[in-house]
Amino acid sequence: MISIRNLYKRYHNHHGSDWVLKDISIDIPTGVSVGLLGRNGAGKSTLLRIIGGMDTPDRGEVIRDCRVSWPIGISGGFQGSMTGRQNVKFVARVHGSGKDIERIIHFVEEFAEIGKAFDEPVKTYSSGMRSRLSFGLSLAFDFDVFLSDEATSVGDRAFKEKATKAFKERIGQAGLIIVSHGEAILKDLCQAGIWLDQGKAHWFDDINEAIAAYHESTDKPKHNMKIK
Amino acid sequence: MLLPRTPWQVTRAVWHALFLREALARTTMDRMAWFWMLLEPIALIAMMVGIRAVISSGQHIGGVHFIPWLICGLFSFFLFRENMMRSIGAINANKGLFAYRQVKPIDPVFIRCYLEGMLKSFIFILFIIVGMLLEIDLVPADPLGALFIWLLLWMLGIGAGLTLSVLSELVPEIGRVVQLTSMPLILISSVMIPLNYLPHEIQQYLMLNPIVHGVESLRACFFESYRAIQGISIVYLSVWALGSVSLGLLLHLRFAMRLKAQ
Repeated sequence: MISIRNLYKRYHNHHGSDWVLKDISIDIPTGVSVGLLGRNGAGKSTLLRIIGGMDTPDRGEVIRDCRVSWPIGISGGFQGSMTGRQNVKFVARVHGSGKDIERIIHFVEEFAEIGKAFDEPVKTYSSGMRSRLSFGLSLAFDFDVFLSDEATSVGDRAFKEKATKAFKERIGQAGLIIVSHGEAILKDLCQAGIWLDQGKAHWFDDINEAIAAYHESTDKPKHNMKIK
Repeated sequence: MLLPRTPWQVTRAVWHALFLREALARTTMDRMAWFWMLLEPIALIAMMVGIRAVISSGQHIGGVHFIPWLICGLFSFFLFRENMMRSIGAINANKGLFAYRQVKPIDPVFIRCYLEGMLKSFIFILFIIVGMLLEIDLVPADPLGALFIWLLLWMLGIGAGLTLSVLSELVPEIGRVVQLTSMPLILISSVMIPLNYLPHEIQQYLMLNPIVHGVESLRACFFESYRAIQGISIVYLSVWALGSVSLGLLLHLRFAMRLKAQ
């Protein structure tokens, strides 16, 4: 279970700082797949980063009593001068895999299918190879909850198919929190939904209801919109 | 379901992973990195000895032959300086890893300092052994005292490294300024030129520099007959070491998230 308690977040900039997330309290049970919905800039990615511990809230807290992944498919998590294998080893060690390291390396090597490049420095990789590696790496661990920021859309056709299949298998055993604008993906993968609007989070037990609420809010003409 | 790990288990796993990574990077990334690690101090000492031999005719400083005197001073100074300088780049070089929430900005700094101190200690011991074979008097007269001063200097370096690693990330100019000052620092730290060659009015201000206390105390532990500069205090050095480490830890605690988010 991931408990979010009275969470506030804002970013400081030169034009003042409005709350991006304002007093959010939600419990996300383990084993449930949740879709995060909202307009651009509504704070979906921010909330996901805070859940993943990459960012801290200004007030409030996130309590994770299960193993939560890093956002799947982040490209920044590799050291360019080291090989794919060394990077995988590093991440496995950070996550305390112990004797499991060999299995994880083997899994990632198989899954990424980048051949000899696995032993080349990551800075020589193309962006597709990079995302194959990072996607394989995320799936190699037994997390209770996976976080994903539009992650299923990487790689070429064959890899996408394979990735989606592996992804579905994984989240059959674990939970998922996903940010996506692809409503087909959300309907396919998620049961529940969170709709973010004006700094508030609304929980829906059914993803279809969340999508409906999101649609209603965007279809409605806004009073404060001025045509110039 | 796997049980969540305790904070200490997580930290240990991170340190282990970072250590292996840094050690690998240090020893394999350059061509012949090991060779340079040895050659650098040898070349520096050879140059210093050469310069000294040309400039002044005296063979002894404070009752000690100037070659072991210089070796001792250079190693203790570099222990401090390298810890400080390597730390400054540590956070920036490991930015990508902060994506994993287990890794905190302080971890790469700690690991670099640990690795740096171990390497410097290893090379110093190697020098002492070679010195023994060449009959240069480099065996410490008071080994326990020497070890203690060595650790204090290391701690001072870690403290400076911790503090400056935060400050130079928040204000990049600070890193530049520190790099600029590291060269003159060697001149006023009693490493190559004994401070008592200088007039008393200047000397009393230079004695505020804690490195002088470390360098001179270490020499006093190494050479029994050495006449160190007046007013050397281990307590003064210890206060600086403890103070800088505390300040560095505080800064890391205060700015951890800002460093991570940058």
